[in-house]
Amino acid sequence: MKRVLIADDAAFMRMAIKTILDKNGFEVVGEAENGRIAVRKFEELKPDIVTMDITMPEMTGLEALKSIKKIDPGAKVIMISAMGQEVMVMEAITLGAKSFIVKPFKEGHVIKTLNKVLLDI
Amino acid sequence: MSSYYSNEPMLDMFIFETSQLIEQLETSILSSEKSSCYTQSAINEIFRIMHTIKGSSAMMMFENISCLAHAIEDLFYFLREEKPQKVDCAVISDLVLESIDFIKIEIEKVKNGDTVDGKAISLIDNIEVFLSSLKQNNASSASADTKENNDVRKQQYYISPDRANSSVAKNTFKAVIFFEEGCEMENIRAYAIIHHLKELADEVFYTPEDIIDNDNSAQVIRKEGFSIYLKTDCPYEKLHDFFMQTVFLKKLELTQMDNDDELKQICGEKREDSNQNSEEQVLHNGDKEGKSTFNNEIKAASAQQSIINVSVTKLDKLMDLVGEMVIAEAMVVQNPDLKGLQLDNFQKAARQLNKITSEMQDMVMSIRMVPLSASFHKMHRIVRDMCRKLGKEAKLEIIGEETEVDKNIIEHISDPLMHLVRNALDHGIESTEDRQAAGKPQTATITLEAKNAGSDVLIIVKDDGKGLNKEKILEKARKNELMQKAESDMTDKEIYNLIFLPGFSTKDNVTEFSGRGVGMDVVTKNIEAVGGSISVDSTPGNETAITLKIPLTLAIIDGMNIKVGNSRYTIPTISIQESFRPKENDIVSDPDGNEMIMVRGQCYPVIRLHEHFGVKTEIEEFINGILIMVESEEKAFCIFADELLGQQQVVVKTLPNYIKNYKNINGLSGCTLLGDGSISLILDIGELV
Repeated sequence: MKRVLIADDAAFMRMAIKTILDKNGFEVVGEAENGRIAVRKFEELKPDIVTMDITMPEMTGLEALKSIKKIDPGAKVIMISAMGQEVMVMEAITLGAKSFIVKPFKEGHVIKTLNKVLLDI
Repeated sequence: MSSYYSNEPMLDMFIFETSQLIEQLETSILSSEKSSCYTQSAINEIFRIMHTIKGSSAMMMFENISCLAHAIEDLFYFLREEKPQKVDCAVISDLVLESIDFIKIEIEKVKNGDTVDGKAISLIDNIEVFLSSLKQNNASSASADTKENNDVRKQQYYISPDRANSSVAKNTFKAVIFFEEGCEMENIRAYAIIHHLKELADEVFYTPEDIIDNDNSAQVIRKEGFSIYLKTDCPYEKLHDFFMQTVFLKKLELTQMDNDDELKQICGEKREDSNQNSEEQVLHNGDKEGKSTFNNEIKAASAQQSIINVSVTKLDKLMDLVGEMVIAEAMVVQNPDLKGLQLDNFQKAARQLNKITSEMQDMVMSIRMVPLSASFHKMHRIVRDMCRKLGKEAKLEIIGEETEVDKNIIEHISDPLMHLVRNALDHGIESTEDRQAAGKPQTATITLEAKNAGSDVLIIVKDDGKGLNKEKILEKARKNELMQKAESDMTDKEIYNLIFLPGFSTKDNVTEFSGRGVGMDVVTKNIEAVGGSISVDSTPGNETAITLKIPLTLAIIDGMNIKVGNSRYTIPTISIQESFRPKENDIVSDPDGNEMIMVRGQCYPVIRLHEHFGVKTEIEEFINGILIMVESEEKAFCIFADELLGQQQVVVKTLPNYIKNYKNINGLSGCTLLGDGSISLILDIGELV
């Protein structure tokens, strides 16, 4: 089973994503409520993939992405964004995010995105 | 109603988190108001909260909440990024507070399972109008930014740095990509492709060109697809695999061109106004989010402790079980089978068991205990709104907010507190002119104080307003025939406490907030429903203080079991002062036939339980029975019973409705099961007085 780390400051969102992932054969190995914790947990847990919210306190998704890429340049990070955050998503992709999911998201989209990204070597 | 997520846990989490965020937001707004404007960290916090609510409510299909949150988010995004100078903070506060109220109402609908159908259109309109006027009034900074954008806009293609002028790459390809419907942000997905293509291709041209800074290009891509012309050394298969990895790819048309004429043609058209800047430059405007550091005191504290959320139903069940356990323990330890036996080891083990069950009880109680902070802080909003509406000035002082009460009780306290605070502002606090004339400080003070007193919690609502008017109260009471005692027999305090009688109000006109004479009555009922009591005291011209006395817990009390005939009763130990066997001549009777006893110079009424409850007993002489002196609300009296049976922790069970409805028995607050299986009725000392 592929191991996933979920980073989002809203408990509701984390729950929503976890519900989808649990149903579809992924293993959620950790949750982080801000960027700093996301980086720490990435180091501890070494997940196969990270879902990263863009807007978070203490350290944003973009900064966390940067740090994670420094630790592991091959890290697979998917940004979770809202409509209107195009510029930040682009920067995330420039920084090395593999793809992104737009809120509000549908189960199918989430799974498709994760699967495609995991296939990519 | 949510059709997407029909499972309860998601809805519960949504309600819980959104309510929490709303409360946090309200506190933030109110404190920003006090310090006259919005700090950068407050703006960030408000932005983030609205962003989260927008996302969650959209997921749950609550469009109206989501749109409203979006409007506020846009407003605060502007405040955050542009940092405008000319801002009317009062208007912002009002807009946000109105939005908070709207969301609160909608959340209530969600909780009750009603349709979430509130219309936020006019409110959103107001916000948008305000935002555009804000943009206009602060126009100078905005225009500079757009100029910057225009200069950089030209960039639309990429040339690998080491192959500046002519490319010797072998293959020329054209790719047209269509994305799946509804995948959103197609322009960004297109950008992602271009970004990753850098590693494979040397020259890349694409159309539409403005994917980076024009979100409308997403529309173009949806209609016409995203076209890429590129030169690369990669073979067809590798390129094909690369494109197929695109998420949400619907259709790919990948053709290898024979020559690069077409590409050169397109290139030539655009090269006139090109520059060789890397596409990264465009993005420098974008993300300022990371730069502001966050001082989020409220959230930081909760992030440190490890906390989980537990459903209150589970806690209630746990509480019931602990109660049953106490009864079961008594049934074992006080079993009639063991009567008269010498059981040292058994007693030792029983004591150990008792120790553990006591600890368990204490722990369960403490889990259910919740500090009053939240309830108290809610009052800030009430004070602010009422001051605005009534044109008065007042501040709220909170003392002892860390005092804890049972979760069940918290729910019953909010409304009474609100009413009392409203009353204080409406009736008690004078207008600023009156206060000045009386030499009082212009800003009135309302104090909310909570403290522990024995097994009760005292909550005091005090105001430094004009106090209660004895004369008016007496007049109203006489008019409504509410006088139970002669005026001359009443102490000042008793007169003041008349205001709790139903139908009482000395206000002449009915206002939006008070005057109908139902408020205090409802407050009293609410407090009594949790087993508490309410009283008031006042200094005319200076102060009014209303005190709520609320028991820490209802369920398990220390009781003294007594016997009257064949019946058993339990007296809460907390009320017992002392017990003794009286001598015949200590008892005196007054002309009405009421019996009294003198103890250490004080006179106390005596109640014969067997008479009061109509129970047959052989012990009617005082010297054969026992007198127990009890006290409630500073009034003391003596209860006459046959004998004391022993002290025990009892679980209070309410009297069944059948009995309550059939006959209202004065003096009983509940019943319990004793160790030997018999039923004992718990005396309500307050009522017997």
